[in-house]
Order: sequence, then C-alpha cells, then structure tokens
Amino acid sequence: MKPFAVTYRDYIEKVGKVNDSNFSLETIARVERPLAFLYQDWFKVDLQGLQRLPNEGPVLIVGNAGGIMPWAGVMLMYALMSDKQHPRKLHILADLDWIEDERLYNFLREIGFVPWNADNAKRLFAEGQTVMMFPEGSAGAMKPFAERYRVRSFDWTNLLPAVEMKIPIVPLATLGPDESFPMGANIEPLAKLLSLPAFPLTATFPWLPFPMNIFALPIQWKMRALKSCDYEVGESRDEIEESAKRQALFLEGEIQAELNRMLRARLRKVR
Amino acid sequence: MVNVPDFTSLSKEQAAANLARRNPSFYNRYAGKDDEFGFKLETFAMWEPVFRFLYEEYFKVTFHGLDNIPDEGRALIVGNHSGLLPLDGAMVAMAGVNHCASPRRIRFLATDWFFGIPGLREWCMETGQVRATLDNAEKLLAQEEIVGVYPEGIRGVGKTFRERYRMHDWHPGFVKLAIATQTPIIPIATVGGDEIFPNFHNGKTLAQLLGMPFFPMTLTFPWLPFPMPFMPLPVRWIFRIHKPMDLGYPPERASDRKLVSRISKEIQYMVQKDLNELLRERKSAFSGWED
Repeated sequence: MKPFAVTYRDYIEKVGKVNDSNFSLETIARVERPLAFLYQDWFKVDLQGLQRLPNEGPVLIVGNAGGIMPWAGVMLMYALMSDKQHPRKLHILADLDWIEDERLYNFLREIGFVPWNADNAKRLFAEGQTVMMFPEGSAGAMKPFAERYRVRSFDWTNLLPAVEMKIPIVPLATLGPDESFPMGANIEPLAKLLSLPAFPLTATFPWLPFPMNIFALPIQWKMRALKSCDYEVGESRDEIEESAKRQALFLEGEIQAELNRMLRARLRKVR
Repeated sequence: MVNVPDFTSLSKEQAAANLARRNPSFYNRYAGKDDEFGFKLETFAMWEPVFRFLYEEYFKVTFHGLDNIPDEGRALIVGNHSGLLPLDGAMVAMAGVNHCASPRRIRFLATDWFFGIPGLREWCMETGQVRATLDNAEKLLAQEEIVGVYPEGIRGVGKTFRERYRMHDWHPGFVKLAIATQTPIIPIATVGGDEIFPNFHNGKTLAQLLGMPFFPMTLTFPWLPFPMPFMPLPVRWIFRIHKPMDLGYPPERASDRKLVSRISKEIQYMVQKDLNELLRERKSAFSGWED
C-alpha cells in the first residue's frame, strides 16, 4: 500500500472524496502491479488523445468491444488512473447480472465496474464522473476472429441517458483485443445451459485449466480517443431519441473509420 | 449451363438493333440525341451484352431497393469503390439500364487516368463515362441525369485484399455539389467488388514508372498473358440502395465546410455500416447470401 500511496497521491486525493461504498482503493492498489504489467509490457498500449477528454465535469467514453471481456475498459482505467496531469477514476458500465459468483462480482464493483442501467448512468453523470460504455453489447465482444475490427451496430438506447443530459461523448477506437483473444466460435446452447452470456471457444479456453485459459496473445494495442462530437438536443422525447439514433450511427462510424485507418497504417508498416 | 452471349461477330448497327428490340424504352429514350460528353448508343449497345452477362450470369448481382432510383430527374449516386477494374460502376449502370422500372443511363465520373490513354479514352466516353471535374458534374446534373460518384477516389479501387470492405475516408466534394445543385443523394453499398481481383500488393515504384495510379499484383495480373488477368472471380454481388436523401439545405450552405464534412461523414458511415452488416450475413463469397 505504501508505494501505491506515494505514486498515486493525486489520484487517491481525488477518488477519496467520492462517497461510493462499492469502490475500494485497497483492491485497486492490489491489482495495480498486474495492470501495469499488462498495460506497459504485455500489450504495450499506445494510447493517444487523452487530452481530448474534458478535465472537469462528466464525460461518456464509448468504445468498440472485442476480446470477450471488456479489456479495453480495464486498460483505459489504468491509463486514466496513472495519468500524470489529470488522474481520475473510470466507471465502466457493463452487464454484470450474469455473474453468480459473489467474490467476482464484488471484485469487479471494487475496481470500478457499475451494473448497466439508466439510473446508474444518470447518477454517475450527475456526479460529474468519467464513464465508459460499450454500446455494441455482448454481441460485439463475442466477434469471431474472421469479423475482427468490424464494429457491430451501436444500440442507440444505451446512449439515451447521456444524450438526454447533453453529456459530451468521446469515441475511443481500440485496435488489439480482437487479436489478443482470437475467438473461433460461440457455443450458444452451452451458454444457455450454463446461464452465461456466451460460451466462447478460443485457442486456450475451455481446454486448459484456469489461469492459463484466459491467456492473451501479446499483441501491441493501439487506442485512440477521438474528437468528441457536439450535438444538439431538443426538449421533446422524439427529438431526444432522434438525436440519440444519429449519435449512435455517427460514433459507430467514427470508431470504424479510425480502426480502418489504424489497420491500414499497420499493414503499410509491416511491409 | 450458362449461355454466353455472342458479342464478337456483331456490327454496331446490329448491336443497336438488338438493343432496340430487347429494351425499347431505353433505346427510345436516348437514341438520336447528341451528347456533349461523347456518349454513343451504338458503342454502348455493342458492349452492353458483355456487362449484362457479367451482371446476370457471372456475378449474379442482387439489388436491394432498386426502386429508389428515380424514374425522372437528377440524382447523385455515391458508394464504396472496389475491384481494381471499376466493375462496380458498370454493374450499377447495368441495373439502371435493364432492371429499373424506367430505364436510366447512369453516368459515372471517372478519373483522369482513363482519359489519358488513347483507346480507352474513346471507349470510356462512348459508353457514358465522364471525366471527373466539378464543371462536368454540374452540367450533367443540369441536364437532369443521374451521376455516379465514388468519393473514395482511386485509392478505393486499389485496396489490397486484407483491407477489403474497409473504406478510405471520403472526399466531401460530392456533398458540396449536391447542396449547390439541390440534388438528392442516393448512397449505395456494394459487397462483392473487393474480391473479384484479390490484390496482394500495390507496387509503388512500378506504378510511378508507368504513370499508373497503382500497380496491383494479383494471383494473375502481371504474370499471365493478356486476357487471363482480366478474368474476375465469380463472386456473388449484392447492392443495397438507400432512399434518395434530400439534404434540405439552401445552396448558400454549400460553402459551409463544417456542415459539408459532417454530412459526408454521416453518409460514409452509413455505407460502412451496411458493408459490415452484409458481410456478417454472408455465408461465403461464392455462394452469397443464400444457402
């Protein structure tokens, strides 16, 4: 705890003021070393564009899902936490209902995951927090390898709370997770049987025993936060929904276009 | 057994007579009219069976939303470009000629390179392509024609196989044109074109040396003797045509760069979304969307 307290003084000062019984700094301190290893040495994340986040006030970050678990969110969480200028806490809105294991659920809550629903989202925005979300849903995270880096359509209803409150939305394109966790197929009947959201088949899962089966290939990740797009929102419900639909399409396109650009740059570099 | 049409022994007059018999409404609409961009119905009639064969028998093209192409009046067709030889434009033109309720000639704006090669230049002009300049586009739209534009430009045609169906960023000039001339925009997504000539490498040095926009290397291209490299793979094609979009901005807004680039992006993202969806639903490149 001691070295953590020294390195992350600003972060702790900022987070300590927030009254959130589910969040735990001890847990963060415990996972800091493995996260740093993943971020710096394993995935070698190259994250650009953090200066595009507003320094004050609420912001919603939407990203492309991939790689079964929301690893992009966890990496961004580490990046924001260890940011020198503006350290901050990231709340990741995700579907946690399927988790039956109490310990896993509590652990995820303690590092900053928040169960997805509109009330939670609105509460976080009202508190002026930095929130991340994957509007593709679990279908996006379970993309087979052949469909890597093809964004599934964004669910505009997920954006409604943010659009309603006129929160700036920053798109974040992540190149890497789809190849770090190459997935062959998703066995849906088995997933239903085990009441899991999905049952992926990868090179290691479910064949190898526990810690080995979540093995990730050491792909170099690239993450780009893009320009937040300003939008106008009317007062009536119809106008809000119309605006959310437009935003969903635009954000999806921005992320897909950036992924295309990054992939193309990588192809050029390899040659 | 596919019936390959006999298009080698026909004279221009016979070809025109065949077209008049087979598709009288198209023939009557455009016969005997002078065209300032050099369209010749006889030449078109001679080549039409070749592309009709590709359309109907070889690629087995499917169009969704073909009735969104208007019977009368101008429109601007935009879409994703593909396929080394721009056959996607030819397929859209074929749909306009043979499969619309009211047959239309769809004229594509083609890159300067085609117009720098002596034989090709005449062929392009006589089959209805127009050199891509803003002037020409405005003239065509003033004549109430349908104009096809690929805002990706020549980069889109030269995509390598690994980049298939990942669009380059669009040049927003088409939105400017549409707002200035008050033309509805019809976005089209094309799946199939990027796989007919799998391109593994774009040679930069050779391209510069030969003055080509790019020098592709495919399974067949520089290696095999002449007609063989131009045999496309029999991939199934699908087109998704959107409803004509009336942008609803007054012509003065055409110089508003922020607005123009925003609309251009929105249309680009719409087409990319279609591509992603269509690809996901596809069973395989050669069997297409049915089992």
